[in-house]
Amino acid sequence: MRLLLIEDDALLAETLADVLRLDNHQVTALADGDQARRALSQAGHGQDLILLDLNLPGCNGLDVLAALRQHDKETPVLILTARGAIEDRVRGLDLGADDYLAKPFALDELEARVRALLRRHTRSTALQVGNLDFDSLSQRFTLGGEPLNLPPREQRLLGCLMRHAGVPVDKARLAEEAFAGESMGDNAIEVYVHRLRRRLSGSGVELRTVRGLGYLLEST
Amino acid sequence: MSAQDSLYRRLLAWLLLPLLGLGALMLIQAYLGARDTADRAFDRLLEASSLAIAEQVKWQDEQLWLDLSPAALEMLATDAEERVFYALYNARGEFITGNANLPGLAMANGDEQALHYGNVTWNDQHLRLGIRETRLEGWSQRERFEVRVAHTREGRESLTLALFQGSLVRIAIMALLAACILVLTIRLALSPLTRLRRAIRERDPRTLAPLALNLPRELAELRETLNDLLARMRRVRANQERFIGDASHQLRTPLAGLSARAELALRQDDPALWREALQAMQATSASTARLAVQLLSMTRLNNPEASPELTPQDLNQVARTATLGALGACHREGIDLGVETSEEAILVPGVGWQLEECLANLIDNARRYGASQITVRVLANPPTLEVEDNGPGIPADLRLMVLRPFFRGQDSGEGSGLGLAIVDSIARAHHARLTLHEARQGSGLRVAIRFMGDRS
Repeated sequence: MRLLLIEDDALLAETLADVLRLDNHQVTALADGDQARRALSQAGHGQDLILLDLNLPGCNGLDVLAALRQHDKETPVLILTARGAIEDRVRGLDLGADDYLAKPFALDELEARVRALLRRHTRSTALQVGNLDFDSLSQRFTLGGEPLNLPPREQRLLGCLMRHAGVPVDKARLAEEAFAGESMGDNAIEVYVHRLRRRLSGSGVELRTVRGLGYLLEST
Repeated sequence: MSAQDSLYRRLLAWLLLPLLGLGALMLIQAYLGARDTADRAFDRLLEASSLAIAEQVKWQDEQLWLDLSPAALEMLATDAEERVFYALYNARGEFITGNANLPGLAMANGDEQALHYGNVTWNDQHLRLGIRETRLEGWSQRERFEVRVAHTREGRESLTLALFQGSLVRIAIMALLAACILVLTIRLALSPLTRLRRAIRERDPRTLAPLALNLPRELAELRETLNDLLARMRRVRANQERFIGDASHQLRTPLAGLSARAELALRQDDPALWREALQAMQATSASTARLAVQLLSMTRLNNPEASPELTPQDLNQVARTATLGALGACHREGIDLGVETSEEAILVPGVGWQLEECLANLIDNARRYGASQITVRVLANPPTLEVEDNGPGIPADLRLMVLRPFFRGQDSGEGSGLGLAIVDSIARAHHARLTLHEARQGSGLRVAIRFMGDRS
């Protein structure tokens, strides 16, 4: 994937670029707000994800974001900022950012957010969590290269969880998205989750329960 | 002073406008007076000439006779080029002699000797007419007759104008003087205001010392209000300075540790030792960065200028958002983080991001102090946010102390000592009470933020 990193702190920019390249992304790094705005204010910038610092030399990150969103509502933007307070998050999200990470952040956290954003915005039909792959066109799963054959309901449940991988999905949403039209009791969902968990155990992909928020599929 | 609205201009306008009105009244008065004077002077002239004419009337050939010499006629005229008319009428109102057929006047039967005046228009000329009714004196025949004298008004008008011009100059000079005095007086009266303004403008912006300035009573009240404000600002600044002192100490210490650790590692050659040093440095820099963030939010929360608007917040939503935010960090450390929300929305007036920051700090604290299970809970009656953990807890006698900035319970070197102080500030801003309890089960800590509403 092609990533554009807009960050003016040299040490942080270099480190982040290295980390993202190790994750097999093509990373372009810019350190200047005006430069970034020029690069993004026209269609065809060719990026899949933009990591954007808010405090930049030249014009600030929110201006860059506004310029991008004028013609491009699709490309996901992850805001990185030292401003810290959650109140800035609201402004960024209002302007059309997709996610927000306050400095300092853990590299794991950044990688997880990048993965989640790319997955959510990918136009391809192939989804991947760890070594679990799902082709939504053929509705076929492979786990560690081996085909994973599932009964229809488990298949739909896992497909839904994969689309939301990294984010907890509650039972109401699962019932609506995976079993639309079917009346499913909470218990039934628990049974399917239990079965899926058994199938995935020891595979590097985990289906966890987050109390009060729902089920979360992630790679371990 | 802005050009649109200045006290000086306002005073000047409100004083000058009535003055102008008064001036106009005086001008009218002066004009009327001048006209009156001119009328009286010329009326006297009319009277004298009518008398002179009356004395010339004789009885001759059984009828009234008047022979007016040109010299006598001359007497009737003045310097102004007015035209003079006279006429003699007998008792039956028949014209005897004269140079014009002057009209009569409807007269009340009054004084025999007095002259009756009237303004008449005759042959398209405005005339002042005087009529004297008298009778022949010293003749056998005491025949009654009327002398009518009149002249055009040029003389009167030019005299009126001359008199009026004299008053005009006097009034103008007086008005000018009054305006000058007004301007000076207003300047003088407003000068304390100018002094106050100058004193404020010339102050060093950093000084918060009270204003010492002798001012009239009305402005002294303003000065006292300003001084009250300055006193409050001094207290706020003293508080901030103490806080900055603490904060810089808190930031310097881990930075010194980082630098020392790096220096030591550079002296060593063993990659295993480097790795160990890097791990220690990463942990320290992460906690220092977190401290800096917390210092910033603490400063902002304590800023009396910033009081954001409270809007209805659903505590369930706040709890879910905060839990989602902390999920990543907790998962990486294998901590079981969960949320227990209530069925229906629990609305509380508040600032969403502040409440979320509250919970984030509480979850963070629980995580740092060794909990393996953390639960965020929303209770309905009264509206309450709770964070419960199964960590070591805090002894009852320390529970009040931990709310102070930079106080740390069991010093494990991890926490900043600011987390709970921030939570406490936010709770206060929301009319909520922060209390620390034992966990419902086990040894852990349960922190509750109870919203009292505005009743408290």
